[in-house]
Amino acid sequence: MKTATLNKEYVNPVGKSVPRIDGKGMVTGQAKYAFDVSFPNMLIGKMIRSPHPHAKILSIDTTRAEKLPGVRAIITAKDTYNIKFGSNEYFFPHTVDQMAIESEKVRYVGDEIGAVAAIDEEIAEQALGLIDVQYEPLPAVFDVQEAMKPDAPQIHESLNNIAVILPVNFGNPDRVMKEADYVREDRFYAPAAHHAALEPHVCVGQWETFSNKITLWSSTQAPFKCREALAKTLNIDLNDVRVIKLAVGGGFGGKLEMLPMDFASCLLSKKAGGLPVKICYNREEEFIASRRKHGMIYTVKSGVKKDGTLLAMTGEVIADGGAYCSYGPTVLAAAIMRIFMVYKIQHFRMTGYRVYTNTPISGAMRGFGGVQAGFAIESHMDMVAEAIGMDPIVFRLKNITGPNMVTINKMVITTNGLRECIEKAVSASDWYKKRGQQKHLCRGIGIGIAADVMGSKMYKSHESAGSIVKVEEDGSVYLFTGAADTGQGSNTALSQIAAHELGVSYNRIRCKSGDTEITPFDTGSFASRVTFISGNATLRAARDAKQQILDVVAKENNLNAAELDIAAEEVILKKDNSILMDFDKALELCYSFNYGRQIIGRGSYNPPTTPIDFRTGEGNVSGSYGFEAQVAEVEVNKETGEVKLLKMWDAHDIGKAINPQAVEGQIEGSLVMGIGYTFLENLRFDQKGRPANGNFANYRLPRSMGTPPVESIMVESNDPEGPFGAKGMGEASLLPTSAAIANAIYDAVGIRLKELPFTPDKIIKALMEKEKFELAAQASA
Amino acid sequence: MITLEINQRQYQLDLKGHETLLEVLRDHLGMKGTKTACEESECGTCTVAVDGKATLSCIALAANCEGMKINTIEGLANGEELHPLQQAFLDYGAVQCGFCIPGMIMSCKALLDKNPEPSQEEIEYALDGNLCRCAGYLKIFEAIRHAGKVIKAQCEQASLLDRRN
Repeated sequence: MKTATLNKEYVNPVGKSVPRIDGKGMVTGQAKYAFDVSFPNMLIGKMIRSPHPHAKILSIDTTRAEKLPGVRAIITAKDTYNIKFGSNEYFFPHTVDQMAIESEKVRYVGDEIGAVAAIDEEIAEQALGLIDVQYEPLPAVFDVQEAMKPDAPQIHESLNNIAVILPVNFGNPDRVMKEADYVREDRFYAPAAHHAALEPHVCVGQWETFSNKITLWSSTQAPFKCREALAKTLNIDLNDVRVIKLAVGGGFGGKLEMLPMDFASCLLSKKAGGLPVKICYNREEEFIASRRKHGMIYTVKSGVKKDGTLLAMTGEVIADGGAYCSYGPTVLAAAIMRIFMVYKIQHFRMTGYRVYTNTPISGAMRGFGGVQAGFAIESHMDMVAEAIGMDPIVFRLKNITGPNMVTINKMVITTNGLRECIEKAVSASDWYKKRGQQKHLCRGIGIGIAADVMGSKMYKSHESAGSIVKVEEDGSVYLFTGAADTGQGSNTALSQIAAHELGVSYNRIRCKSGDTEITPFDTGSFASRVTFISGNATLRAARDAKQQILDVVAKENNLNAAELDIAAEEVILKKDNSILMDFDKALELCYSFNYGRQIIGRGSYNPPTTPIDFRTGEGNVSGSYGFEAQVAEVEVNKETGEVKLLKMWDAHDIGKAINPQAVEGQIEGSLVMGIGYTFLENLRFDQKGRPANGNFANYRLPRSMGTPPVESIMVESNDPEGPFGAKGMGEASLLPTSAAIANAIYDAVGIRLKELPFTPDKIIKALMEKEKFELAAQASA
Repeated sequence: MITLEINQRQYQLDLKGHETLLEVLRDHLGMKGTKTACEESECGTCTVAVDGKATLSCIALAANCEGMKINTIEGLANGEELHPLQQAFLDYGAVQCGFCIPGMIMSCKALLDKNPEPSQEEIEYALDGNLCRCAGYLKIFEAIRHAGKVIKAQCEQASLLDRRN
């Protein structure tokens, strides 16, 4: 490799903030997204959507649309194989409940009943208006509690519209609750929200009809999962489907699944004789027909001893699932079971209900149930601590999990930096100088803590990732990984891991990711799993490649390969670190006349876990666990109800920062998403089940103004299972945000907010109620 | 036929009256660097510079831009040398998914061209129309501040050279 392009700064890159491997394309506009894919003769596809929230489909007549010049293909259910798809197929097979194209019934406004492809967008739109569909409208239900009533309209075959009941039960909470010195119950509401990734869902599907091969260019977060669902619903062999992920403009869980649009683009292409068909959602469709965060009603009751020991906890979670199941059952499970990673609790019972309504489909969203749970549990914990007169920090330190323990539901926690996270967040934020000390300024400080998995085995029985590290004759290094970089920077982190383990500069690495025909299998970007799982696969592949090189060098020099290593671009003798030859020379040798040895390292990693039994909630879901503590400082304006975030602190056990700058970026981005959910975001529906605020004008997102300073504190617990000690960390930073802010607002002005988002009107109302209550108390005294 | 000047190059175009600058850039000219996330002027993703002013190309009628200087992300680098803003976005880790970045950088450029040393309030105000869902803005603020310093130093260097000549 030309030495001029090598940067010695980037040897041993793990732990260094090297620039993104794909960054230059992104700052110059050259990065290619599925959004940008275009081919000559490419058709534009549009989905035919139901205008009704709940109706029987009586007939569909496409004759008028077919006659429109420029229309090339129309599909309806009769063109499909009527095979259902879903995302919790492995654990909850009965929740596989969605047809790519519905044939008998529609269940929400936007439900797909067909698709058209035309030579341009204008004609495709026009064709939609020429499709005659006869519906028989059915009574619909939009409220999750209404949907659970016996006389509610039946959306699927489930009793009372409850798709899944999850009973999680350990110990004897009823008996132990009676031994408590103090018991309290709180009920919280966390609304539906939307991912709002800036790149919409977009795909280009091409079905080469004679060779019978499908290619889908997609904005997916999980190309292999998308391939599997496509092959299944299109009734074609897996190896005849190729899904290619390009640069992806954000996903946050919203692009984890195949959508009907992906299916339709391929089938339209087949019907149009193999021309590629592009379908790109507009922003309105994003809000209606992608996925959303589950709204949840979260009730929790705890019993504690006077000394702060958390004895027992019970509760109920009702999750608004919308029209189909998607990832709902496992989101619900995560919303209940995350607490075991955070608090040592022995007696626990919580029942979850995942309920159908005639609204858009709830699925995975960054935090995966943990955001709603984090708001409820961490707000509740502060109230419990206060009621027994205990400092919230002391209360948490008394009850949190620690290293090397097995939780009541058999999660195996090894490294655990939660205590250090809390202590560091407390010290950095000057907690004890501020807590309860700034009420005269309407200022307050609050904390929330959380834990997260890195991988979940919720898609398949295994969760393995594979990597290939190929080193060419000129010393160039190619990393092939199935991992899907959707902007979080996994291509960069994995390249750092590969370079570091191989002993070469990061500049050598060329990373190819997320192409189902070229890269090894990987389950995708979710559950904060990529650095940990795909990172471990990459580490192993680089190690294998290195071994192959050292074998050749050892043979040539009559040495034992075990005596050699590669570090900082040189092959060295381990005993005295003396240099034997540089990396390029070693590769010349490998590819020389006598050896002709191709260097192709391979790595596979499947985390050490046990299957979860969803009848009990037992199982070790992840190969390691990450922890964090977050502190918020706020100032409340009692006149306007506005809350100003003065500063936030996030202390995070990330195992080891592969790229500290990227870790900070994940903490900040995740936390700011949490701030949006706390103050702004709430996806609402009107009385006909249509989104009431389904656009960027009305669905408000965090913008630059008012973004508080964030201090990220990295706690490196060096996990022995992680690559170079690293854990996953992309999701945890928004789990405790709402509660940390809620607890800070309480510290500032003494109001407890149990319904998100904290809009000024809710704050004013709570302040007025507090005043009324205090006046009444004074009067009676 | 109208003539548009984009990144200092003239383009002769046969347009329908209602076509937006965004459609011209992406669909007619294949300049896909400029993105859009809403097509209704809410997200700032499609921002380009028209006569130096940050402009939403999704609502700017292309025909109205005749005779004006249009600059997009593709024209920002000087040959192979990145613009200080592009370099700062890389150095400060301000880029995650990258989808908002072309528009974000064009908004930043319009700000820094007027004022290379903006206050925090001025930065937040100038970028309030540009959504970023990944990075949480903080690293973008750092990148702008740094780029401003580089641009100011470059300007001072240039004026020093001017005076010497």
